[in-house]
Amino acid sequence: MILLKDVRWSYQESGTPAVDGLDLHVRRGETVVLCGPSGSGKSSALRLMNGLIPHFHDGKLDGEVRVVGEPVTELAQVGRVTGTVLQHPRRQFFTDAVDTELAFALENFGTPSQQIRDRVGEVVADFGLSELSGRLRELSGGQQQRVACAAAVTHEPPLVLLDEPTANLSPQGIADLTGILRHLKELGATLVIAEHRLHYLRTVADRIVVLHSGRAEREWTSAEFPGLTDEILRREGLRSLNAPERTGAPPISAHGPSVAPGENPAEGGVGVAGGKAAGGAADTPSAEGSGVALRGLRCVMRGRTILDIAEAHLPSGAITAVTGPNGVGKTTLARVLAGLQRHSGRVLLDGRPLHRSRRQRETAIVMQDVQRQLFTDSVRSELRLGAVPEQAERAATVLDELGLDGLGDRHPLALSGGQQQRLVVAAARLSGRRVVIFDEPSSGVDRRHLRSMTRTMREVAEGGAVVVLISHDADLLELAADRELRLRPAC
Amino acid sequence: MTSIDPRPGTSVLPARASVPQRPLARRTLDPRTAVVILLAASITIMAPGGVWFVPAALVVGLLLALSEGAYRRALGLPLAAGLAAAVTYLLPLAVRSPVVGLFAVMAGFTLRLVAVGGIAAHLINTISPPRLTAALRAARIPSVFTVSGAVMLRFVPTIVAEAQAVRDAMRLRGLGGVAAMLRHPVQSIEYFTVPLMASSLRAAEDLSASALLRGLGSQTRPTAMHPPRFGLADAVAGSVVMLLAAATVLWRSAR
Repeated sequence: MILLKDVRWSYQESGTPAVDGLDLHVRRGETVVLCGPSGSGKSSALRLMNGLIPHFHDGKLDGEVRVVGEPVTELAQVGRVTGTVLQHPRRQFFTDAVDTELAFALENFGTPSQQIRDRVGEVVADFGLSELSGRLRELSGGQQQRVACAAAVTHEPPLVLLDEPTANLSPQGIADLTGILRHLKELGATLVIAEHRLHYLRTVADRIVVLHSGRAEREWTSAEFPGLTDEILRREGLRSLNAPERTGAPPISAHGPSVAPGENPAEGGVGVAGGKAAGGAADTPSAEGSGVALRGLRCVMRGRTILDIAEAHLPSGAITAVTGPNGVGKTTLARVLAGLQRHSGRVLLDGRPLHRSRRQRETAIVMQDVQRQLFTDSVRSELRLGAVPEQAERAATVLDELGLDGLGDRHPLALSGGQQQRLVVAAARLSGRRVVIFDEPSSGVDRRHLRSMTRTMREVAEGGAVVVLISHDADLLELAADRELRLRPAC
Repeated sequence: MTSIDPRPGTSVLPARASVPQRPLARRTLDPRTAVVILLAASITIMAPGGVWFVPAALVVGLLLALSEGAYRRALGLPLAAGLAAAVTYLLPLAVRSPVVGLFAVMAGFTLRLVAVGGIAAHLINTISPPRLTAALRAARIPSVFTVSGAVMLRFVPTIVAEAQAVRDAMRLRGLGGVAAMLRHPVQSIEYFTVPLMASSLRAAEDLSASALLRGLGSQTRPTAMHPPRFGLADAVAGSVVMLLAAATVLWRSAR
């Protein structure tokens, strides 16, 4: 089905090859998982298979690439035999409704109208999409990914390629996707999945191929999966093959319609309990008042209540995870805390009510797309921008601590994704913000970076800040969360 | 999260599933009709003496808003037009000053824009980019225009969303306010545009890669799931527009 023979590829803008002597043979009907540390060439390997390399990205290609027995000559040709699902489904949608999105490829490939209608009807029923009547952009992440998978296979390609499809999915979304993959496999599709999270693929994959520096270094068949210990995977920089067992962090003191029930300390009148922060400020009774308190917080958008929290306390000096299914209001809560979202009710910091404009000056957000928050032309000036004077001289130390030493003169947009993220964190630290919010910081991050990310958050918390972590990533939550605020739909 | 359980044995794959419905499409105008009405209204109203056709365009805009159930627009359109008309024609009678005269001229232009805007709003709200593209293809518009038009329509909301995110990020870094904008206008524009371009380019890359792989702009002549077809709604709309235009011409010659 796919043959890559001694393939070398360098992107035009980069000196080092992204793929360097890659040999890979994927047989018809097989499900192959490509994994490896960040930057090991997983996405580039997929791009070789769907022709985006070299027909969309510029660079230098050597070696032999054959897809369904043919060399890749143009994108539309390979597009007929492949379906591609990217990390962000929202970004790949071309229309704003389920049926038009499913019809898109068939229309472009010149399929007769009646056939398109029949096939779209089949896929809608097959993927359980009939109840998704709203606009695509208003669906939850899991629902969007389901539509993206359906849209990738409507033209019945024999080969489906998925690039980190779970990066933005909740555990429920991942369970749904696993079902879809199993179903595609049943239908006889060949699947190639580039992924960091491996646990959900344990029962789906026929083979796991580990890439390092752009070449296949190791390979395990499904018969060998049971023998793969966590230690072996850790050595390869890979995440666990077993579903992460979340012991769950103690819940914060909170109640209200948006707060998921559980062993809620507010109901029992208990305060914050001990977490992972070693001797963190939140563990001491005197720290009860410090941090962010929410009182009667309510957020209504277009007549729908998005968030309704009667009372909650997010302690300073600790990492509070905000969790819950896609679309439950986690990002809205982050925007409320940062003063970017109108709401009713009060938000207090260390016992003092804080107006929205004041909260904007006390909060930093590390966004999922960090490019949106890099404003200047060098790392050094990025750190100076908005830094409080007494912290400005610490710039060099902070850069060093975050592994950015020696990069002071580089343009922020020339850094890697991980470096950009750490730069934004450094800027937040130097600006002395009391509330620092991390919004899905681990999408597309390997095991090693997961730990460094946790270290960074821990350091920010130890500096006395209220650290809020919005994440679906069970691995990261298990490592980092001291407390948890679990949300549920408000109505 | 809604349930899907496509595991072996539980998936239902009907031999011939129901064809997706298009509840809005049947009741609304064919995109070609809507585009022709919009173009005709724009050209007529913006031409010298075009102000005579403003009432007719407003009636068309009002009827279109009612037909799609956009009652707020149906109410707002005559109100906005009435206000603009009052500033254009009544205010200069009450207050004689050059400043008021300037306002009156500006309000005159606003009045024309409101009249055309009512029709444009209907087009934007009821005709999705794929329907518009299919209709333009049926009207034999070359693909170089239909493809680039479709991409543009698709990308505008992305840029708006990215711009909002960048503006939020600026506010959190203390770069947002009006004061900062006035103190350092060039720098403020740079702070806004550089991240906007970086993040929009990234989004554009995913979108174009996905669209090209799904055959957008390929050599094959595209088809449409629902080929555009003229219906009763188009006949009614055409007749109403003709009647209003004729009435306007008669009214004008009578004066």
